[in-house]
Amino acid sequence: MTHDVVVIGGGLNGLVVATYLAKAGRRVLVLERRTSVGGSTVTEEIAPGFRCDTCLHDAGWLSPRIARDLELERHGLVVLRPERGVLAPLSATDALYLDPDPVSAADAIRHFSPADAKRWPDFTALVAELSGFLEALYTAPPPRVDADTLAEHVTMLGLGRRLRKLGKARMVQLLRTLPMSVAELLDDWFESDAVKGAVGAQGITRICQGPRSGGTAFVLLHHAVGRRAGAFRAPLVVRGGTGALATAIAASARAAGVEVRTQADVARVRLEHGRVTGVVLRTGEEIASRQVASTTDARTTFLELCDPSQLDPALVRAVRTIRFRGAWAKMNLALSGLPRFAGSRTEGDDAHVRGTISIAPSLDYLERAYDATKYGQVSAQPYLEVRVPSLDDPSLAPAGKHVMSVHMQYAPYALRDGTWDGAARTSLGNGIMRTLEQYAPGIGGLVQAQQVLSPLDLEQTFALPEGNAYQGELTLDQILFMRPVAGWSRYRTPVPGLYLCGTGSHPGGAIAGGAGALAAPELLKEARD
Amino acid sequence: MSPSPKRYDAIVIGGGHNGLVNAAYLARAGKKVLVLERRERVGGAAVTEEVFPGFRFSVYSYVVSLLRPEIIRDLDLPRHGLHILPLESTVTPTLDGGYLAQWGDHDQNRRELYRHSPRDADAYDDFGQLMYHMAYAVRPILSMVPPDPTSLSPGDLRGMLRLGRHMRSLGAERFHALHKLMTMSSADFLDEWFETDVLKATKSASGIIGTFLGPRSPGTAYVLLHHYMGELDGVFRAWGFAKGGTGSVSESIASSARAFGTDIRTDAPVARVLVKGGRATGVVLESGEEILAPIVVSGLDPRRTFLQMLEPKELPDDLVETIRRYKFRGSSGKVNLALSELPNFTCMPGTGAHLRGAMSISPSLDYVEHAFDDAKYGDFSRRPYMDIVIPSMIDPSMAPPGKHVMSIFVQYAPYDLTGGWTDAKREAFGDTVIDTLAQFAPNIKAAILHRQVITPADIERVTGLSEGNIFAGELALHQLFFFRPAPAWSRYRTPVHGYFQCGAGTHPGGGIMGASGRLAALEILGKSGGAKS
Repeated sequence: MTHDVVVIGGGLNGLVVATYLAKAGRRVLVLERRTSVGGSTVTEEIAPGFRCDTCLHDAGWLSPRIARDLELERHGLVVLRPERGVLAPLSATDALYLDPDPVSAADAIRHFSPADAKRWPDFTALVAELSGFLEALYTAPPPRVDADTLAEHVTMLGLGRRLRKLGKARMVQLLRTLPMSVAELLDDWFESDAVKGAVGAQGITRICQGPRSGGTAFVLLHHAVGRRAGAFRAPLVVRGGTGALATAIAASARAAGVEVRTQADVARVRLEHGRVTGVVLRTGEEIASRQVASTTDARTTFLELCDPSQLDPALVRAVRTIRFRGAWAKMNLALSGLPRFAGSRTEGDDAHVRGTISIAPSLDYLERAYDATKYGQVSAQPYLEVRVPSLDDPSLAPAGKHVMSVHMQYAPYALRDGTWDGAARTSLGNGIMRTLEQYAPGIGGLVQAQQVLSPLDLEQTFALPEGNAYQGELTLDQILFMRPVAGWSRYRTPVPGLYLCGTGSHPGGAIAGGAGALAAPELLKEARD
Repeated sequence: MSPSPKRYDAIVIGGGHNGLVNAAYLARAGKKVLVLERRERVGGAAVTEEVFPGFRFSVYSYVVSLLRPEIIRDLDLPRHGLHILPLESTVTPTLDGGYLAQWGDHDQNRRELYRHSPRDADAYDDFGQLMYHMAYAVRPILSMVPPDPTSLSPGDLRGMLRLGRHMRSLGAERFHALHKLMTMSSADFLDEWFETDVLKATKSASGIIGTFLGPRSPGTAYVLLHHYMGELDGVFRAWGFAKGGTGSVSESIASSARAFGTDIRTDAPVARVLVKGGRATGVVLESGEEILAPIVVSGLDPRRTFLQMLEPKELPDDLVETIRRYKFRGSSGKVNLALSELPNFTCMPGTGAHLRGAMSISPSLDYVEHAFDDAKYGDFSRRPYMDIVIPSMIDPSMAPPGKHVMSIFVQYAPYDLTGGWTDAKREAFGDTVIDTLAQFAPNIKAAILHRQVITPADIERVTGLSEGNIFAGELALHQLFFFRPAPAWSRYRTPVHGYFQCGAGTHPGGGIMGASGRLAALEILGKSGGAKS
């Protein structure tokens, strides 16, 4: 039995590309290494009765087009109130709460700085406007530098027109903002450390840079794509945990005729006369197909699944220099009760902890946390992004109990001293708990079970190279026509029939299924040729 | 010079090298030009001073490489005394007592690199070629008046088209490389090429000069390229000393300007620009004296050009706001030493050829990055990056016979030092520099006859460069080309008719380059080929 397309990896992008192809009449097989689909977007049991987003606790922005095309609601997706605020504890007793409504947030900011409060609505409007342009870029294939066809020119012209529509002042502001550091951007607007820390943390999301590094203003905008003005670090909250998004897409895929096989680990891509003819599983099983869409990263795809000696040395060199450099870790907790953070004012009032709890009291705090990782050490006072998904979805934990997901930065993949062994993992977990205890005293007593994932664990469990969340750092030099490598950003590869469409491809991570949706037409195009 | 009310065609505020170049070009085109310099000498940050009897120093800027060849030619500078002596090597001592040397001679350089890493020795030529191509790719942009990307005027559209055509002519591969240079950190960029830490550290150091960034921060790869563009007599990457110090560069330009009929007045600080009905009519000096001219050109940095020389009411609010946000963040200092004897470096004892080149204190990437960490939190680096040259080795006229002058460029010394710069802090900073140097050249302390320590606050006070930034504004991606100094005002004009800018705070900025002064003159004369307004 032969398939038209084999998709390597059952993450969001794999499922999305498969569904689009099946809807266009292709016979598609998705091969997933693990026992369940979802890739880095999975909700798993961490202790009996406790289910948690074990890897990423934020699927990013789901474009309405994908939700519509794949009929995700019909396939079980329930989006809970999508926008929550950011609670930024500053100590055990003091906190800033940024409501997604800019006017309410400004009220809270006023206690820290009246000047900042006044500027807040304008700032949120600016971020929404500038990230709106990125949204336009992310729903089309990356612009080509060497545009030579009329169609390319039209696309570029369209982008140019959209850029122009931003208005002269805004357009200049966008170009000026992208290369800035998030610290410079925020220093231009605000004076309060609390505000700058709470917002600035978005600029270092899952990269190995600090808030004073150039290009972090871009990262802030990237993670604002699709959000309303004022909604910072607002995750897509779906019933059943973020993994339910993958489940819904998988249901849509199956309904479209896609075959999904789990525990099917691809060992290599099979070639004949330089053309893809299928894949070989770790078990030795061979599966024939005309096309292969790999949603694993470019380094693994080219250097492990293919034979690099058969590839252009320049490409191999470019692939080797893709920067991954994971610098985050994850802690998942099963809690016997709800911890009290400063700012969750009274007993029973949990409105402020339903969104993102951000341990980033100032930009200096973030910068110092980053300093450690430059020299291969784990931050002693890490940045923490905490979520308690069981508040909005009680089904995730036994009655009265909670699950807590803690994203931690920075923990470098490459430790200067030692390796990520059990002792290093334990020490990482203890460090996170110590920091949590400072802002939510007594939390340690509530822990029934905990799971700690070092960058090495993230790599091994979720096939994230070097633990990087997005198959390659999302920085200005690795986006658009540079992603995954310059010259091969359009999902095709130099190997006829082989395609790349994971988060390592444009538009990158935190844009749910974005690469898969954009790659599908490219695969169909070749099949037509 | 008599204070009689004399009319000029143009007045240039500030006798730094850009102001002088601008004046010379205007005078060469037949304009009657007056240059007004606040200090007792011209040159701005490019001055030679006898700081201690018999010892002459290039007090601030100390090497020449970026000076545009067309300026040297057009202004006939060699005839006016410009003489550049080559600087041919860089030696970096390492913490284990070893060293890495980079020599002007290709084969010698390759042998030395091979000693550290055969792989790096092989990669070095390819890297050099790439940077050469990249510098060539950027070079036409340096000689281009930036178009306003948001404007629909025929001139600007022509400019954008020219820029687009140029970019396309590079081809995809070089365009991608250029994109990387514009967006990466110098450390990451060099990591793609080399494995020898000390080589990467020394190369990355040129990516941090004049910025408030560490080598691991994106944006520094561009500054690396900026320093690769040094061009002397058409030879890429050649750095040199001006005979007589960098002041002689300024003197030669001043001499050329005078030969074209320019008047130059020193000790003539300008208080502000006279504006009538949105039009510049001249300047008023701090003494109260008024001098009239229909064209006024400021060679000062953007903050002074817009916010000090004009009343805010002459400017649109958003421009005032943009200039206020323009980043200076001076991060470097200077220590000038008068020496009784040459330093004796442990890694390379004696007085060999290496002392005729630069000594770089950048033993590892982590060392340079640590130096930045201190500055981020408001301290000067406990162990700073230093670029050391001994001009008297090449030009003996700089020091009494048998004695020497040493110039030490130091980073990081933040302008915003916690608690501010005091005399005590200045001396502590000087001590840190000497202690650091003594680690590598133990005889230095005994050899010091005199020392001059210059902080960013001193640079600001003496040369007028805001916050002591040596490039009149950071060379960050968002402050380059059509953003320098402000969007829509990058073409040497200002909202005040007849009032122009020509300092390093405009495109292309930074280093003893003179390009800003020249391009501004061409724009004033309507010969830039770019946009007219």
